[in-house]
Amino acid sequence: MGFYDWMLSLHILAAFAIAAALVLYTVLVVVGRRADTLDRTRLLFRLAPVGGPLIAVGMGLTLLLGIVLAIDSDEFQLWDAWVMAAILLWALFAEVGRRTGVYYTETQKLAEGGGAEAEVLGRLRASTGARLHYAGLVIFLLLLLDMIFKPGA
Amino acid sequence: MLAAIRPDDVDVALLFHVLGAMILLGGLVTAATAGIAGWREDTGELQRLAYKTLLLVAFPGLVVMRLAAEWVYREENLDAVPEEPAWIGIGYLTADLGGLLLLVALVLGGIGVRRGGGGALLKAAVVLATLLVAVYVVAVWAMGAKPT
Repeated sequence: MGFYDWMLSLHILAAFAIAAALVLYTVLVVVGRRADTLDRTRLLFRLAPVGGPLIAVGMGLTLLLGIVLAIDSDEFQLWDAWVMAAILLWALFAEVGRRTGVYYTETQKLAEGGGAEAEVLGRLRASTGARLHYAGLVIFLLLLLDMIFKPGA
Repeated sequence: MLAAIRPDDVDVALLFHVLGAMILLGGLVTAATAGIAGWREDTGELQRLAYKTLLLVAFPGLVVMRLAAEWVYREENLDAVPEEPAWIGIGYLTADLGGLLLLVALVLGGIGVRRGGGGALLKAAVVLATLLVAVYVVAVWAMGAKPT
């Protein structure tokens, strides 16, 4: 196994770390919308901290190793359209993820800091957070399509 | 332009294979997280969430991943390769053995859910889910690195 194979396998593992966090958050978003008590929401928020490091490490490594792979490869270059599209989608995904994180972190602070039950449940049921999360899922899917089909390569 | 982005069959198969694997691993991570977080919880609510995630997320992911793996295998004509590379063996072993373990976890967890609370059977399913996370991380590494 050479340098390129190692970098590629770690790049893919990093993408799977992001995907694992997205599945975790999707379960929390879906179950959270059905939560009917403050205690239940607090219980669900106990799972959320696992997703943060997975997303952070996954995002950092996919970009870094993706650039390393593009530089090391003879088949494609950093300025290829599909590579540039991937970097653009990565940045968009990061921004949507940041906004989603801000929304749910505020909700968690309310739930754990003595906020009113109606307000916490209202924020979990509102479409704002869910829409941001699903937008992130769509962007991640576009990234995956770009990585596999490599349009223009 | 259209010709440049027209997908090959193998790419479509690979997309489903990767997507299925991501859902499978994500479902296992979620189930393991919920199960471990709810290990000492009396109501068993997080343990039941762990079981539902195994059933409704990880298992469908396994089915899609495994069917698409067979599709990729045929599209790539890997059955015609004289000496099968190690990564294919690792892939089949982890997919099939892991699938069997996931089925065992689903049966144990299912009985545990019917009995109510967060009993020993649900905990056994969580232990299996945690073990499967490690198994499939190795599988993902092997699929990417393709060791010979």
